[in-house]
Amino acid sequence: MNSPGHAWKVGGTALLIFVVLFPVFFIVQMSVRTGLEAFRMPPTLSFTPTLQNYVDLVEGKFIRALMNSTVTATSTTLLALLLGVPAAYAFSRARFRAQGLVSLWTLCTRMAPAIAFGIPFFLIYKELGLIDTRVGLIVIYLTFNLSLVIWMMRAFFDAVPRSLEEAAYIDGAGVAGAFVRIALPLTAPGLATTAIFTFLLSWNDFFYSLILTRSEAVTAPVAIVNFMNYESWEWGKVAAAATMIMLPVVGLSVVMRKYIVHGLTAGAVKG
Amino acid sequence: MSPVARIGTTSERVLHWPVARPARASWSRARSLVFVAFLVPAMAVLVLVTVLPLLYLVVTSFTPLDLTNPGSLRWAGLTNYRQLATDGRFWSSVWVQTQLSFWTVGLQMLIGFAIALLLNGRMRLLELVRSTFIVPMVLPPVVVALIWKILFTPDISILDWALGLLGLPQPAWLADPSLALWAVIVADVWEWFPFVMLMLLAALQMLPSEPLEAARLDGASRWQVFRHVTVPLLKPAIVVAALFRLIDSVKAFPHIFIMTGGGPGTATEVTNFYAYLQGFSYTYVGYSSAIIVVMLLATLIMSLGVLAAAGREYDVE
Repeated sequence: MNSPGHAWKVGGTALLIFVVLFPVFFIVQMSVRTGLEAFRMPPTLSFTPTLQNYVDLVEGKFIRALMNSTVTATSTTLLALLLGVPAAYAFSRARFRAQGLVSLWTLCTRMAPAIAFGIPFFLIYKELGLIDTRVGLIVIYLTFNLSLVIWMMRAFFDAVPRSLEEAAYIDGAGVAGAFVRIALPLTAPGLATTAIFTFLLSWNDFFYSLILTRSEAVTAPVAIVNFMNYESWEWGKVAAAATMIMLPVVGLSVVMRKYIVHGLTAGAVKG
Repeated sequence: MSPVARIGTTSERVLHWPVARPARASWSRARSLVFVAFLVPAMAVLVLVTVLPLLYLVVTSFTPLDLTNPGSLRWAGLTNYRQLATDGRFWSSVWVQTQLSFWTVGLQMLIGFAIALLLNGRMRLLELVRSTFIVPMVLPPVVVALIWKILFTPDISILDWALGLLGLPQPAWLADPSLALWAVIVADVWEWFPFVMLMLLAALQMLPSEPLEAARLDGASRWQVFRHVTVPLLKPAIVVAALFRLIDSVKAFPHIFIMTGGGPGTATEVTNFYAYLQGFSYTYVGYSSAIIVVMLLATLIMSLGVLAAAGREYDVE
């Protein structure tokens, strides 16, 4: 165990972890320093942390943007699951002629840059008065969330043996009952993985919020850019806002890391 | 919705449930109905939010639609596409995109694969590494862009200070046309090499041990085992990882928007960003649509090409 090769490997791994995490630590420490002190070089390790940047944010409009992010990401996740999970179950349990077509279409939408949906949605929302509304964002997030849910959940349902559901049906549960009582509980980890991914993608969205919101429904990732422009060089505040946006995402991922790795590598297994 | 509603019967249910025949018949009929009810809402919404908007995009690409001119939604045939063919700024954006995709995907694959190989095997640190490596990927792209914008801005960056300490030049990365694209590449590689690494590490750990041992017993060197056994076995995972990264590299937006704004000049203006400027800064939505349609077709052809090339080789093996 204590061979030089092993020591080299551990050292290399430690260096890697440093490279990956350093930029994140850098912005977090920046958020608890006062304006001028953040840029004193060489950086001092001993300083008095301050929460002033966060206080400024809470007193400003940033909290509203965070609320918009939370509400839209949660709603679109629930909606996508509600629509997509039953569809994924049907796709897993029966063969449809259109199945290949749906898969190909999913691939196409996966390739489309956000602006491909952004332009038509912008034009339609302008007519419908949905610009700068949470509903508008919740609906446009379905463009990527719905096919993601169908695609991921189908793989999870495929892994559940069918015989259990048939037994439940024979016992008088009904088809929908067999789905709710047998298939759904057995895919609970899969549901968790899928929910995390849809939430992450919606929470992290930048483009749709940039073109479809102005002030009322603006989400946190766009709000941060706005005060970067108007109150330029307030880097402490930018760092604090960035920390607040990434905190829930990083927290969620560390707690649920097993599911995340599983979800990320599912593509490799499915090919 | 009609093509979805047709359900084929499968023979495998017979194998699962050979005893209760009448029950099975009603089960199968009841299922058909429920499945249709399960599918219709999702498919209807999918058509509404993806198919129709993309069709509308194709329509607007044939019009001179300008947001400041309400009457401009009228048929103009191939005008936009003809203009595109001779638009130097468009072709320059294609070239910038090509460089960005080549370097980000190439470096992510190389670094990700190398680290996956390094970490393969039993190691107590592995779980920690996995948790750590998720972080860049799940960060909001805006935060990634902001972090690297700060790190690449002279005077306020610790990176700049460290370079100075080492007596190295301290360039203004984001203001230098020959370096700005590299700053974007560094940010993107940092964000996504963990994806390649995690995917290939998972594939490595699922490799069957027999072929590797057989090759070693036959006296193959470590390099030969790697080259002729490990790499071919990993190929499906490598192809999928590269394809995913390639597709996403074409969609790069927040990094460029925040770090460089496409500049200096047009040094980092990728096609996606150029389409955004045409549509939402200059309000030429029709022309912007045409750029996106061309981009989508090119991505689709490229991806199917990658899959087809990879697929043919699988058959040979």
